Amino acid sequence: MVSSRTLRAILVYAGIALLVLLACYYGSRPRGIHLTSADLLVQDTLGYPPPSRTQDWRALPGQWQQVTLPHAPRPRMVPGAGDAGLLPTQTSWYHFTLGPEQAAPTGAYIYVPRWKTDGELAIYIDGRLFYQTHANLQWNGSNRPLWIPLEEAAESTPPRDILIRMRHVRGIGGALSTLWIGDYRQLGAAYYMRAFFQAELPYISSALFLATGVFAFLIWLRSRRETLYLLYAVMTVATFLRVMHAYMGADRLPVSDAWFGWITVNSVGWTVLITHLFLTALHHHHVRVLTWIITLMCVGFGAITLPLFEGTTDATIISPLMYITMVAVGSVTFALHILWSRRAGTLEGAGLAICGLLSFILGARDMLLQNNIINIESLFVSFYAQISLIIVFCQIMLSRYLKAMKAVGEANVVLVRSLAEREAELTASHQKLREVERREVLFQERQRLMQDMHDGLGSSLVSTLRMVEHGHIDEADIAQLLKGCIDDLKLTIDSMEPVETDLLLLLGTLRFRLQPRLESTGIRLRWDVRDVPPLGWLDQRHSLHILRILQEAFTNVIKHAGASEIVVTTGVRDGQVCVGIADNGQGFDVAATGAGRGLGNQARRAEVIGGRVELLSGPQGTRFTLLLPVEGAARPQSAAD
Amino acid sequence: MADSAPPLLKVALVEDDIAFQNSFAAAVRSSGDMHLVGMAHNVAQARRMIAGDPLDVLVVDLGLPDGSGIEVIRAAHDAWPDCGIMVSTTFADEKHVIASIEAGAAGYLLKDSSAEKIADEIRALHAGGSPISPRIARQILLRFRPAEPVPAAAALAEVTPIANPLSPREREALELITKGFSYDEIAELMQVSRNTVMTFVRRIYQKLEVTSKAEAIFEARNHGIL
Repeated sequence: MVSSRTLRAILVYAGIALLVLLACYYGSRPRGIHLTSADLLVQDTLGYPPPSRTQDWRALPGQWQQVTLPHAPRPRMVPGAGDAGLLPTQTSWYHFTLGPEQAAPTGAYIYVPRWKTDGELAIYIDGRLFYQTHANLQWNGSNRPLWIPLEEAAESTPPRDILIRMRHVRGIGGALSTLWIGDYRQLGAAYYMRAFFQAELPYISSALFLATGVFAFLIWLRSRRETLYLLYAVMTVATFLRVMHAYMGADRLPVSDAWFGWITVNSVGWTVLITHLFLTALHHHHVRVLTWIITLMCVGFGAITLPLFEGTTDATIISPLMYITMVAVGSVTFALHILWSRRAGTLEGAGLAICGLLSFILGARDMLLQNNIINIESLFVSFYAQISLIIVFCQIMLSRYLKAMKAVGEANVVLVRSLAEREAELTASHQKLREVERREVLFQERQRLMQDMHDGLGSSLVSTLRMVEHGHIDEADIAQLLKGCIDDLKLTIDSMEPVETDLLLLLGTLRFRLQPRLESTGIRLRWDVRDVPPLGWLDQRHSLHILRILQEAFTNVIKHAGASEIVVTTGVRDGQVCVGIADNGQGFDVAATGAGRGLGNQARRAEVIGGRVELLSGPQGTRFTLLLPVEGAARPQSAAD
Repeated sequence: MADSAPPLLKVALVEDDIAFQNSFAAAVRSSGDMHLVGMAHNVAQARRMIAGDPLDVLVVDLGLPDGSGIEVIRAAHDAWPDCGIMVSTTFADEKHVIASIEAGAAGYLLKDSSAEKIADEIRALHAGGSPISPRIARQILLRFRPAEPVPAAAALAEVTPIANPLSPREREALELITKGFSYDEIAELMQVSRNTVMTFVRRIYQKLEVTSKAEAIFEARNHGIL
């Protein structure tokens, strides 16, 4: 629906245009000597012999009669038969006598708003040939006003009589508007305004639209599916050809009359066909029969008027018949398209069809003008209907183009938005994953500590409690047991801090915790560690296992070995990092008592972290070794890191 | 108090746990060369004590009923620059110990130490030595790490001008400590006396305190407080 704002804008623009046109019209009214009547002498002739150089009007045989200008006899539809193979022609002589009150000013022009002849025109001034058309006989630029500068020599006197010789096909053509004589100030505006609106504006606009047609054609070349662009391009060509009527012919044409007529008359049918296809592509209601009828009409007329062979009919001659047929077919077509477009909801399609109909109505009016039924001094307006038709075409193409551009823009916006959404989703899921991971780590940490409390501190405290309850224990033993518990606790706490792959730091921590206990037992500790490769897999979970394994080894030595020295070593053996705890106490039978001394527990923990333990015992003492992989090849229970 | 005998070490304890108060008092009593000058149960009492005459060694617990022992350490360090301050701790975990050192403490005392051990630690501290654990050493090394590629967030802290960077010898000593070597072993490895190693550690603690103060000022400047 058209909004009231749009309507108001349209009204304002239309008003401005109307005002400009009115200003043009009133500002360009001609002044000067206006010749509105003439003496006419008509002679029947054959062919087109050239005019003589001088001509005394009094010497012409025949009866002169006075006529009022514009003079426009009604033409016949079809020319009459000729004699001796020569075209039957007619010479119309218009004679003007200028009285002393009609003396032309210096620098005067003869201005003829319109003249029509399927032939030629010559003008004699004071009996001397002064001007002569040099154009084709049929298409001779009769739509262009004549603007003839009068002689401006030193001896020049104002012309006293003017004789116009017009030779044309007998019964067809031959009409003359009123004449004006005046200087540039009096007539210049009138001439230029008429030349502009009658010939130049249609030419300029059709040429401009031809350029847009080239643009549309290039678009179509790149995307062949968009046939609308191709149709538009072809339409601009057809319109350009059709509008040539308006301005071509002031000079000789590069093609024969026959070809020019064939092109310009047939182009009406072509525009009907193109508009039909275009509208069909718009509303997608394809009636093949109609397409066939229009195509048949175009091809039929084109074929029978094709001026390739002798004896074909001249399109110019039968143009009234062709126009009537084409307008009839076109009107029905456009009327149907108005209906279909409205059904399909394509208002612009309906607008285009209405414009097509309008061009026919205006074309009918121009036919009346062409046939001298209405004042021949008025303008041919169907060209403007052609132009407005193509403006609607252009508007449709433009709106489609803009829609496509907008769609691209919107697609980009949607793309950006969906990208952002996807990114946000990813971030969210990543966060969720990390949250899950964090919870998993926390859970495992809790599990580990629970397990440790249960196996270590918890059970130690419970067994101490039992012993105290049964009175089987003295204070020193209780203190010893509690110290063990506190050591356990300290190591647990130590295991919560990161060690950053540093095994020696872990061993140092263990020593720091066990040192007081060792000192109290009097066992000497030799710290014989050397640097080992960093253990990339070493984290808090593994640290506690290592601490417990080694703590147990120390405890075993303190409790059972009766040793005086413990040596702690580190090194690399067979690609594995090994930690050795050796004592000089009495050995024991590994096979018999190994399990009882918590070796099973140590082996289990070592396995969990991908390592293993070794125990060698003899009379010289016992050597416990923990072997750990450098690379975390064997991942313990938690694969996540 | 005979004239020829060295004067008794004046020590005091800030602690709210009666059990440790008792064992500390017992340890001091049985040492023979120390005198328990005072005992504070909370921050308020400790502040009153600090208003008095300087002591030789002050032992402070961090978890006090009316505040943090860190305040007490800071106040005591300001009031008595020559007093050796120790934080008493159950686990000697680096978080608490390093915070205490930054406030001005020179060492820590493990609460489950035996009476002899407590006396030894107090004497060692007074003599200019400081205890350290491998983990504390590791933390200090990280703190004084020379400008290396560090994560952007840490960059600000790292650009803090370190007033007194660690000397190579100090760094070497700290690295040996992280590997579990004792003072005696380090002294042997570095071919210095045990005493020198202990003063290394004391100096490192002082550098940590100064650096942390500088950092605090730097931070404050960065945040527009100063």
